[in-house]
Amino acid sequence: MLSYVLVGLSLGAIYAIAAGSLVITYVASGIFNLSFAAMAYTVARCYYFLNTEQGWGILASAVVSLGVFAPLLGIVLYAVLFRHLRLRSTPVKLVATIGLSVALPPLVNLIFGTLTNPTAPGLAPRPLGVITVFDTAVNGDQIATYLGLVVVLVAGIGLLRFTSVGLKVRALVDSEAMTALNGISPGRVSVGVWAASSVLAGLAGILVAPTAGLSAEAMTGLMATAFAAVVAARLRHLGVAIGVALMIGVVTGVVQKFVNADSDVAAKLVPGVPFVLMLLFLIYHAFRGQAGDLVSGGGLDRSISTQADENSTTTRDLTAVPVWRQPGVIAAAVVFVVVAIAPLGLDEYWTARVTAGICLAIAMLSYTLLVGEGGMVWLSQITFAGLGAIIAAELATDHGLPALLAIVVAALLVTPVGVLIGILTIRLGDLYVALVTLSFGLLVTTLVFTTDSIANYGMGVALLRPDVVSDSTSFAYLALVVFAVTAILVANLRRSTTGLAISAVRWSENGARTIGLSIATVKILLTAPATFVAAVGGGFLAMNFGSTLPDSFSPFHGLVWLAVLVTVGSRSIVAALVAGVLFYLMPAVFDNYLPSDLAEVPTILFGLGAIMVARNPEGVIAQFGDAATGVVERLRRSAPPPDAADPDSSPNKVIGGTSA
Amino acid sequence: MSATTDVSLPARLSARDVTMRFGGLVALDNVSIDVPPRSVVGLVGPNGAGKSTLFGVLSGLLTPSAGTVTLDGTDITRTSARARARRGMARTFQHPELFTTLTVREHVVLADRVRHSGARLWTDAITGRGLRRPPADETARVDSLIDALGLGPIAHRRIGDLPLGSCRLVEVARALAVRPRLVLLDEPSSGLDVTETAELADVLQQVVATHDVSLLFVEHDVELVLRICDSVHVLDFGVKIAAGTPDQIREDPAVRAAYLGADVTPAQEAQS
Repeated sequence: MLSYVLVGLSLGAIYAIAAGSLVITYVASGIFNLSFAAMAYTVARCYYFLNTEQGWGILASAVVSLGVFAPLLGIVLYAVLFRHLRLRSTPVKLVATIGLSVALPPLVNLIFGTLTNPTAPGLAPRPLGVITVFDTAVNGDQIATYLGLVVVLVAGIGLLRFTSVGLKVRALVDSEAMTALNGISPGRVSVGVWAASSVLAGLAGILVAPTAGLSAEAMTGLMATAFAAVVAARLRHLGVAIGVALMIGVVTGVVQKFVNADSDVAAKLVPGVPFVLMLLFLIYHAFRGQAGDLVSGGGLDRSISTQADENSTTTRDLTAVPVWRQPGVIAAAVVFVVVAIAPLGLDEYWTARVTAGICLAIAMLSYTLLVGEGGMVWLSQITFAGLGAIIAAELATDHGLPALLAIVVAALLVTPVGVLIGILTIRLGDLYVALVTLSFGLLVTTLVFTTDSIANYGMGVALLRPDVVSDSTSFAYLALVVFAVTAILVANLRRSTTGLAISAVRWSENGARTIGLSIATVKILLTAPATFVAAVGGGFLAMNFGSTLPDSFSPFHGLVWLAVLVTVGSRSIVAALVAGVLFYLMPAVFDNYLPSDLAEVPTILFGLGAIMVARNPEGVIAQFGDAATGVVERLRRSAPPPDAADPDSSPNKVIGGTSA
Repeated sequence: MSATTDVSLPARLSARDVTMRFGGLVALDNVSIDVPPRSVVGLVGPNGAGKSTLFGVLSGLLTPSAGTVTLDGTDITRTSARARARRGMARTFQHPELFTTLTVREHVVLADRVRHSGARLWTDAITGRGLRRPPADETARVDSLIDALGLGPIAHRRIGDLPLGSCRLVEVARALAVRPRLVLLDEPSSGLDVTETAELADVLQQVVATHDVSLLFVEHDVELVLRICDSVHVLDFGVKIAAGTPDQIREDPAVRAAYLGADVTPAQEAQS
């Protein structure tokens, strides 16, 4: 038993370092670092490059990667991204850090090269030495991990509790504005926090690499497990986070004593432990009313917050303008026509990619509803798409339903799951909702998508196109029609009473309640269609590829989907179509016309695009629309002005002069 | 002051012996207050007097430790804020709680639909009514309210683009769109200059004169309260220290002491 506890304890120590880092950066900066795994991978890859590929010694590699490279990485990321995020809304912070998590690993691969064998050395000398404690063998990697945690705890507590630097960090946690007014540079303190966080991420990455492998996916698994501890600590109690992380490690280790490590049960139970724990902690906090968003800083910080600027696109009174002359409708029509013409002029290869893009665009409309309209960052839409695909395939294959009917029935079956999550998360803050939905996605992936009958050795379950649309071109038009119908439904929803209520709840739940709106009702009205649309999109994707391909519905791919959509525009319906087509066309363009080394550049660009939401939350389409509107306005201004003597004719007349 | 106030009618809102404790702190101690129909009632007091706590209790955001709250004779002490809104109680906030991406008109339209056609919340998404013109009666009601509050020139502007004064009027318009019998106003003049405050006072008086509605408002601007209220209640340290007409409140020594200190000198009295 002791050996299982010690193995679990070493795993728990790594989780504890990760959880501690996540908590410190969150309370100090208000940013929950979803790119922690990417940072861990980056530093660990640097260590591997120096130690294994360049033949440096362990100490020299560790000093350079953890003492020089990691702090520099934190400083650079703070300068280009994190410093712009502190006063942004939670959804923008989440999306921007998701963008970084998408862009950073392929960027690192581009610089250091892609690893074919992700086995990596840790901080202990090879071959691994072993000592015996109470008749139990403990290897060098485990000892390095225990020592790593002790060093982090001693140095961290000493720094935060007993030094002026720690005092400044704690002041920054309370209020950035008041810290600045007391003559302390919040920027310098924040730089230090992010540099330290990067070091901790790197340390966790290097320590976990020997057992989990040196890959972005392995690091993401580490981070996702640390989430459970962070959630247990309500994102802010360092001691609780570290304690729970150690406990998760020990539980995970001990569970393996009682189940066969090679069995299917172990394969599902062990990875599922942290996510189940996280859901339990979340439910506990939610029922105690302690799972709201962290109120960052004091009143002064909130008064200078830039959140109100996140929806600063130009608004004009378009009620008198016919629908067919409104700029958004014209742009949508142009994009739609271009995509519709494309299959006629392209060969089979490119048509297949455009078709896949259209199918993905259907699924992306679910993000348009949730993120664009509701302001909610759900990271499980790809899971709903996967469930829709799998259930549709099962219905079509095992029960003989026509494929299209099977997709609709599957979507109807998946919808209650989304509604249930919506109801369960009503009392949670935006960040917790993101974590719950990500955990749900990881849990479903572990428990359902990897089931032998569904995974089918990676081939998935077959879902064939109807005979009348068996070729790519005709199937593209079927998908386009479905997209158009879904887009009209989304547009209707947006302009309907339901859409107004969704916006109301998004911006002020108190305000919504005072006019008699039920928050629960409104969230159901949003999550139900969003889940349905995601499942339909998943079904069409599966039908396009002829199989469910469970690997393509991993939550990590979902992060890329989200990154692409927010880059183009999360509120625009046509952006979903552009994003879907780009997602499949860009990699194909790079594969065919550029060197193979650059194959991951599209993913980097998608991630960088999502990072840009920190500066332009409305996305590329809205920016383009604003620019086009500006040109039109300038052209109009060259025409004779209306009666300038009539003050009431001015559209800018407002009551009062104090800015809200 | 409202000319149509009839204090002989049963109170529209009545709070009886309301006590609110936060741990060992007694924020409200046996406070009672009545708001008659078609009246304007003010609630004033120094900082920390318990005004916001009482407002939270009356609007349903806080549940009192003891005491009762009734609306038109119905006990609503433990009724949610949303249910109170459905029963005809609306409120505004000290920091306007508006919907950033909606236009002024959309605020009023949404509130109007919640009041007059609540089922549309469910049916619009299916029937496609969102893409059609709104019904004439809805347009008439919304236009009338927007015109009454002078919001016509900015009706199609989004809230995020508007100054605070306009935001306060939008909150009042949204509150009135649900056809309330009582509106709670939380420091409506906060952040407004003298001219804007005077404009707001005119609008509020007009609202009471033209709608069958009562107003209860918490306000720091004592001059505004004494100018437009039919009656005023004064809190200090969680206790109601005075109640009466504005003239009675002006002369009340306890009120003077609460605002100016226990020993009011002739100089301070003259200054006040």
